[in-house]
Amino acid sequence: MTNRENASTLQQFDASTRAKRYRALSLSRILAITRNTLIELTRQKVFYVLLVFALLLIGSSIFMAQFSFQQEFQILKDVSLGAISIFTSLLAIVATARLLPQDMEDRIVYTILAKPVPRFDYVVGKIAGVLLLLAISTLVMGAAFLIVLYMREQAALHATMRQLSGAPPDQLADALRAVRSSAFDADLFPGIAIIYLKACLLAALTLFVSTFATSTIFTVVVMAFIYFIGHLQATAREYWLQEHGSALITRVFLAVVTLLFPDLQAFNLVDYIVAGTAISLAVFAKTAVLGIFYTTIYTLLAAFVFYGKEL
Amino acid sequence: MRAVVALAVLIGLGFLKLPIERNLAALHRQEHFRGVEFNLDLREKIGQLGFIAALSGFRAIVADALYIQAHAAWENTEWGRMLLLFRHITTLQPRVLLFWDTAAWHMAWNASVAAMNDQKQPRLALRVKAQREYFALGRDFLERGIKNNPDRPDLYEALARLYKEKYKDHERAAEYYAKAATLPGAPTFDRRFSAYELSYCEGREREAYERLRGLYDEGPQERLPTLIKRLKFLEEKLGIPETQRIPDKENKTVK
Amino acid sequence: MTNPAVAVHGLTKIFPVPFHRQSIVAVKDLNLRIDPGEVYGLLGPNGSGKSTTLKIILGLVSPTRGRTEIFGGDSRLVESREAVGFLPENPYFQKFLTGEETLHFFGRLCGLRGAALKNRVNELLRLVRLDRARNRRLGTYSKGMLQRIGLAQALIHDPRLVVLDEPTAGVDPAGSREIRDLILNLKERGITVLLSSHLLAQAQEICDRVGILADGVLVREGHLQELIAIENQTELVVADASDELVRDIESLLSRSNAKLIARRKSTTTLERLFLEATKNDEGMTKQK
Repeated sequence: MTNRENASTLQQFDASTRAKRYRALSLSRILAITRNTLIELTRQKVFYVLLVFALLLIGSSIFMAQFSFQQEFQILKDVSLGAISIFTSLLAIVATARLLPQDMEDRIVYTILAKPVPRFDYVVGKIAGVLLLLAISTLVMGAAFLIVLYMREQAALHATMRQLSGAPPDQLADALRAVRSSAFDADLFPGIAIIYLKACLLAALTLFVSTFATSTIFTVVVMAFIYFIGHLQATAREYWLQEHGSALITRVFLAVVTLLFPDLQAFNLVDYIVAGTAISLAVFAKTAVLGIFYTTIYTLLAAFVFYGKEL
Repeated sequence: MRAVVALAVLIGLGFLKLPIERNLAALHRQEHFRGVEFNLDLREKIGQLGFIAALSGFRAIVADALYIQAHAAWENTEWGRMLLLFRHITTLQPRVLLFWDTAAWHMAWNASVAAMNDQKQPRLALRVKAQREYFALGRDFLERGIKNNPDRPDLYEALARLYKEKYKDHERAAEYYAKAATLPGAPTFDRRFSAYELSYCEGREREAYERLRGLYDEGPQERLPTLIKRLKFLEEKLGIPETQRIPDKENKTVK
Repeated sequence: MTNPAVAVHGLTKIFPVPFHRQSIVAVKDLNLRIDPGEVYGLLGPNGSGKSTTLKIILGLVSPTRGRTEIFGGDSRLVESREAVGFLPENPYFQKFLTGEETLHFFGRLCGLRGAALKNRVNELLRLVRLDRARNRRLGTYSKGMLQRIGLAQALIHDPRLVVLDEPTAGVDPAGSREIRDLILNLKERGITVLLSSHLLAQAQEICDRVGILADGVLVREGHLQELIAIENQTELVVADASDELVRDIESLLSRSNAKLIARRKSTTTLERLFLEATKNDEGMTKQK
């Protein structure tokens, strides 16, 4: 039997399996791209290297027992939250920078966009995959941090009980309360949430830059530049709005920095949380709104630029 | 072309986000979040690494790394290096009370004792001078710490302890314990300690007596042995009538 | 009158080159019509504008001038792609996905779900003969297998038009044969096929109509048999003819106005020879 004869014996398509009528915005389509993106990103070695590094950094805080418990908890929180912040920021930029260029280089973008898939759905699905990856990473590292904090807290409590075994009960209670208050602070949760939102902002901004960047290296370098300038934006803003004696060119420069760059310093709340300052609901809510605003705007702009991109 | 339009939109939206960011910054100031002021002075103070860390939002980690170095310097009794490191640390993290407190403790307690016991310095006068210089450094850390954290009682208490134990200045000690007591989160003993210190001040016995008596009248939780002892002392010194004195049974030693 | 499957009207595409005064004209004033059910071959050398034309038809690239339509609808609209399946040149799919997972992904993109999607995936895997390799990652597939899975994803949503860009490029003769058979199978089902190729012998076997592009211009177009027929020559292929019969035929021709140009033994193709030889080889290996 020839191959041609083989082919003619194959089954007919079942008409009832014909795809549903096209819809402009489809959640299932976006979710399919999100899931695929997440699987693709978790297969990259850089993800595991960064994650292991971050977990090691968090775990290494266990060896701070030579300090007093206040010092130990201070360093543990700083190092752990710093590790979570560095890792999520790095991952946001590195994972997103290659997202669209990789697909275009491999021509898989043709296969996807030749289907009834709007470019908007494609871009949103891609960034959603990154945001999901960042959420999972933040949860894993956050959980590791809290476990280490709990273990050290328990060790400090036992040590305190041993040291004050003969002391009056109220003195012991005060000492134990001091240990607990140095260790766990409910404000750590909103702090970690804001770290995540900052990473989301960076991911969306990286996506936007990658839509008109000429190479992945260019995207990463530009994002590094934006990262530093973003932490100075608040200073530039205050100078622009308050200083009236500066030269015009200085004021224009400051205005561009203020308007174009995000205020990344506003998302560094963990420094204050670790220092023991309570974060009010107003501060948390406004910071969260700002983060969501930036993430949404950058995603929409990325979709806008990508819409007109010649593939 | 679309990229240019997008950038223009971004600048336009910048005006939209400006009030939100300003509002947030105002809230931060209201809640006493103190960041780091970026200027050349800072760059000189904290060096290149610290400056980059401050720029990139990782000053906490750099401060902790310097803190560990300061700990090592303490173990090696390198007081000069410790002083420099703690200046960097407190510049990077002005809102962490632990750093100000530890810096002050190292200077005013550890370094000053080391200076007094310095075998290499035979002249007592110079050893005392060095000791007092370290007291001043410790005091300076606490005063600057208070400037950066005016709403927290801890550094006021630490400064009160410094005045009490090192300068033997009970009046100042009383003043700072009293300031601490007015702040949210202050422990209850701050009021007592302020009154105790005041009771040692010549010419302020009446004031001290009234405060201690006020605390006594609040209830059993304040009637601690030291309070009773100082109250009795002041009753004697001020010649308080018997009918107004606290009962004698309070004089019994409480084990 | 039914809408053509593909209609191209006055299509021009110019790519500007930064810092250069002269732009690149990839396609120039192209007019094209493909009827439903046809297999149309868009032929031409490398750089002739074939891929650009296909991408414009698929809405991946926008034209400088002119317009393209798919079944009467503007091809720039996303909904027009409901009717189109596309296999790009040297397609790349995520290596970590299996064949089955790949088809599931593309099916979801087209709005398929649940049992309907599952059934469709099973059908297609059988059609492209990758049923046994369904759970293998694409990273372990051969070139031919990748092309076949590519064809399967192009068919996942049962399109009425299938666009294939160099479908047999880099594939061995056996794989090429399978892909060609699949294309002919599509034709039998009434699916329109637009393929681009520079492998002329293969295109000759399957296309109904061809268009030849050179430097962005359509230089020849028409039904294949009409285009390649040499007007004044006729071929007769005779089996089991004796020498006497051949001499009689030659004698008849010499008495007429016609001229005998050549007499030779019929030949098979190198491809058929290769396939027969490799099939025999496989049989002997299996016997051992």
